[in-house]
Amino acid sequence: MNETVLSIRKLTAGYGGAPVLFDVDLEVRAGEIVALVGSNGAGKTTLLRAVSRVLRAEGGIAFNGEDILPLPPEKVFSRGLVQVPEGRQLFGAMTVEENLRMGAFRRTDKRTLKESFEHVYGLFPILEERRRGLAGNLSGGEQQMCAMGRALMAEPKLLLIDEMSLGLAPVIVDQLLDVLTDIRSRGVTVLLVEQDVFAAFSVADRGYVMETGRITREGPVSELGDDPAVREAYLGA
Amino acid sequence: MIRLAIILVGAAILACLPFFTGAVFMQFAINALILAVLTQSWNIIGGFTGYVSFGNSTFYGLGIYGTAVAMVKFSLPFAVGLGCGAVLAVLAALLIGIPILRLRGPYFAIATLGLAAATGALVSTIDLAGANTGLVLPLVRADTMFYELALGLLLVCTLTVLWIATSRFGAGLVAIREDEDAAATMGVNTTAYKVIALMMSAFFTAIAGGIYAYWISFIDPSSAFDPTLNVRMVIMAVFGGPGTVLGPLAGSFILSAVYEVLSSWISTAAALLFGIVIVLAVIFTPRGIADVLVGVRRHGWRYLTRNIRENRL
Repeated sequence: MNETVLSIRKLTAGYGGAPVLFDVDLEVRAGEIVALVGSNGAGKTTLLRAVSRVLRAEGGIAFNGEDILPLPPEKVFSRGLVQVPEGRQLFGAMTVEENLRMGAFRRTDKRTLKESFEHVYGLFPILEERRRGLAGNLSGGEQQMCAMGRALMAEPKLLLIDEMSLGLAPVIVDQLLDVLTDIRSRGVTVLLVEQDVFAAFSVADRGYVMETGRITREGPVSELGDDPAVREAYLGA
Repeated sequence: MIRLAIILVGAAILACLPFFTGAVFMQFAINALILAVLTQSWNIIGGFTGYVSFGNSTFYGLGIYGTAVAMVKFSLPFAVGLGCGAVLAVLAALLIGIPILRLRGPYFAIATLGLAAATGALVSTIDLAGANTGLVLPLVRADTMFYELALGLLLVCTLTVLWIATSRFGAGLVAIREDEDAAATMGVNTTAYKVIALMMSAFFTAIAGGIYAYWISFIDPSSAFDPTLNVRMVIMAVFGGPGTVLGPLAGSFILSAVYEVLSSWISTAAALLFGIVIVLAVIFTPRGIADVLVGVRRHGWRYLTRNIRENRL
């Protein structure tokens, strides 16, 4: 069994006085792609916000064995826990290249920057073609690629991807899923948060199902995919 | 590198100017240089970080009063006075910045708008600061010295802005301007960056205030905490090109000259004509003079017609 990269224990979080997450337990091991699925409002994004320390939370979050609960967001980021936010959050008035450069904002080793650019452009050739174009003028799929490329520029150890497939054509989603496998083979662990259960389970090793702030099921995706309850609720079969 | 050369050569030429011009021109030039410093300082928080501050006249006033009180009431030398004013303004920026830099867009602008008025009112109740009547500083007739001081300050301020434009710090500020949430996601400590930007802005603004105080030698709350001065900083920076290194300089020099010429021709209608100039500038050069220079070189006159179309005229 590989070592644990991210370990969440009894995590509780919420907005104002309203709790959203209740005693969430979740574990991601090195080299895995883990899918977190659930319907709208289940608390998936809230969990990511708590993990990246943007949102106050109680319980335990350990990253590579270190308790990151007391750390500010930028410290967590520097440890290699990088998020691809929902809605991409690109810098629309900046070029693709400038966006990618922003990904490397907290990197101190500038020498390997060129390598990272080549790596990202290798994964997404379209970004290299458009590197002088404004990120705001990219298509939805290209924007998602740019957001993922920007996150990769930070040399993440664990990549948190929020709703990667949102509003994208199935062909594009397939392409992006292939890239995830590629990224994993380079030693980046991925936690994929998705509503599109089909897409998520097609690349993930293990999955968690979240409902109204609680993890209700977990296991290898092959088992989850066969689970009648999951099939009924999410796969429409 | 080109920008650095332009700045250094420009400063060298300006430094020689007092030896060829008269007293009237010196008056105008010192005013213009101080305004340029204010505009360039505003550029740090307003242009690069995208936080439209109307609170910079507060820092200006604190710089003026810090220097004046230190010199008049405590008989300290001018340099120490400048330091007092700067420390006062930077501390104010820190204390005020932490709460109000949480506000965004118009909310931030409104919050800062009240600052100058409030601080002015506060100062006019403090006896140590001369209350309502103001303070009279020791009179020095040395326009050339004040000119060179203001020019030196403008040089340091502009070099700082040049550093910002090319540094990681500046990249963080621009990221905040473009999308603050995205900047935070990419690991920019947004709160610290914004507060530091405001403190830098306050520092240069306050030093300019100190030089002004000693030069003009009489100060009172209403002239030190003048909100219309802040409006001029914004107009000049926006006219020149906010978020650029040389734009705010061009903007402030051009508008200072335009205003001077207008008011010597027709004193009463000068403000009106000044307004018209600004309206025209916003229509034809909505992104500032700096953008026009690049745009016209790249697209020719089409650049200007496109601006007019985009403004739906």
